[in-house]
Amino acid sequence: MILDLERFQAQARPRWSALESLLTVLEDRPSRRLNLAETEQLQELYAHTATDLNRVTHGALAPDLRQYLERLVARAYAELYYAPPTRSEIWQPRRWLRFFTAFPEAFRRQSRYFTLAVLITALGCALGGLAVRYDPAAVDVLLPADYLRNPGQRINEETKGQNRHSNSAQMEAAFSAALITHNIQVALLAAALGVTFGIGTALLLFENGVLLGAVAVRYTQQGFGLFVTAWLLPHGAFEIPSILIAGQAGFYLARLLLRRREDRDMRRAMHEWLLLIGGLAMMLVWAGMMEAFFSQHHEPVLPYGFKVAVGAAELGLLTVYLLLVGQRKTAAEEQVSGPSESK
Amino acid sequence: MTDPQPTRLPTVAELTVATPEGVVFRLPLAGPAARLYAMLLDTAIVLAAVNGLGWVVYAIFAKAPGFGVMVITLAEFAIGFAYAALLEGFWNGQTVGKRLLHLRVIDQTGLPLRVEQAWVRNLMRVFDALPFAYLFGGISVLSSPLMQRFGDRVAGTLVVRETPLAPPAEEFWTRQKYNSFLDFPAIAMRLRRAATPELASLIQDALRRRNELAPYARREIFRELATYLQNEIAPFPDELVEMLSDEQYLINAAGALFGDQRLSRIQR
Repeated sequence: MILDLERFQAQARPRWSALESLLTVLEDRPSRRLNLAETEQLQELYAHTATDLNRVTHGALAPDLRQYLERLVARAYAELYYAPPTRSEIWQPRRWLRFFTAFPEAFRRQSRYFTLAVLITALGCALGGLAVRYDPAAVDVLLPADYLRNPGQRINEETKGQNRHSNSAQMEAAFSAALITHNIQVALLAAALGVTFGIGTALLLFENGVLLGAVAVRYTQQGFGLFVTAWLLPHGAFEIPSILIAGQAGFYLARLLLRRREDRDMRRAMHEWLLLIGGLAMMLVWAGMMEAFFSQHHEPVLPYGFKVAVGAAELGLLTVYLLLVGQRKTAAEEQVSGPSESK
Repeated sequence: MTDPQPTRLPTVAELTVATPEGVVFRLPLAGPAARLYAMLLDTAIVLAAVNGLGWVVYAIFAKAPGFGVMVITLAEFAIGFAYAALLEGFWNGQTVGKRLLHLRVIDQTGLPLRVEQAWVRNLMRVFDALPFAYLFGGISVLSSPLMQRFGDRVAGTLVVRETPLAPPAEEFWTRQKYNSFLDFPAIAMRLRRAATPELASLIQDALRRRNELAPYARREIFRELATYLQNEIAPFPDELVEMLSDEQYLINAAGALFGDQRLSRIQR
């Protein structure tokens, strides 16, 4: 019980203002690092103010004062218990470059979610392909856009548009930017839909798979198999895997949210999720460039065989990158699987 | 929750943090409206930045507008995502809009948020903004005790209000030279015991804002409060009360509630 609130305030006010000005100095400092003397001073003022807060909370009727002290204590608490990243930690190019090896490592660590994404997409593909193969009526439903339904017409337009395309690198540049941003947005959505416990991610992948299967079968049926491969593979080699990785990130997030709260290592998990997103964004930049600058050029300019070969080479390089770059096994996994398996 | 004191906040939601030293403090959470305004401000800033950049880029790429479009599309996209994530990550949880509206993103343990949390909560925006006008995010905020949108839930962050506070100044009713209520220590004690914290801060607020009230409202509110106190809480002798205006009655009551509580003063 504080009997004389005025006197209590008068006595304590100097240390409150001391704490407030110390905090203002520290918060404005870019590095937010304390030296030893400051730490001691902060610790002492924090302890006193916290005691004052306890006294006010339990022994006085002073809502304003309590709020004021709560704010002070919260600020001091944040300064004392939080270690901000140092400048050298942030501005180290080597740490930034680490990303290129950390991404495939994260991909391999979470490979089972990738497998799940592949399975769901494959299921969609099979369904879409079979539907178009055995039920011509399904074409209208599964392939809403006209150009997807009538490959011949589309290909005609594509090859006719040849000259327009080949002369306008600028159009292609603008087109590539639109593709990149659109694809990253879709992929990001697939990864974020993990919060629906993976249901949204699964639906998105499935739908994607159905469309893919339907288009592939439709074009092959009508004898444009080589054309469509040459048209889609150079960018699809990166685009489709990156959507699958987005699905992987989504399922990873879903699995994380299904865990009990105390079993989650949020810090590591967020790092992992961001690595996957960063990696797939990088892949989609490449895919967008390829789609705009390379895929749109057809037979007389670029032979189909060459385009397919380029696509296959990309796929091979990507596989090598994702499976072989970086440490083969992380230290944590070695501990889990035991030393016998590590060699 | 057994909270011994009232909160004088427009939003009831708050984060309660218990520190390792056994100190408990609360942080008021930001409501959806304030966050919406902050977001609109930030959107305006991003749009202005992108448009400004657009002029520069088009000037540079005057001969090749297609490449200009490419640069601008990519820059707009990157700025849209990175603006909030970078600012929140390196500016202790604040964007320009949040700083102007006194909001801050913090970790849900009460500590500052980390860089990766800033990225996660801002990338999750693509989901929160669905299906339109942040409907999912809004539903999440309204249904969450910590007012978190989905991005906040995943990143383990929340948005607090940080209206600047000064230490409360001395109130005039604690400085009265003479308070007739203290001549009746037993009744004054009864008032102090029976008044709930809500009632006490209601009286305090009414007195503090008396000059902002319209004369009619002021009279009515003071009459109601004084009648309630006199009839339900602590009946001071009629001959004393009759001499006092309702306003003076409340000033005296506040003096008895919040003033020096040592008996010596009462017995004086």
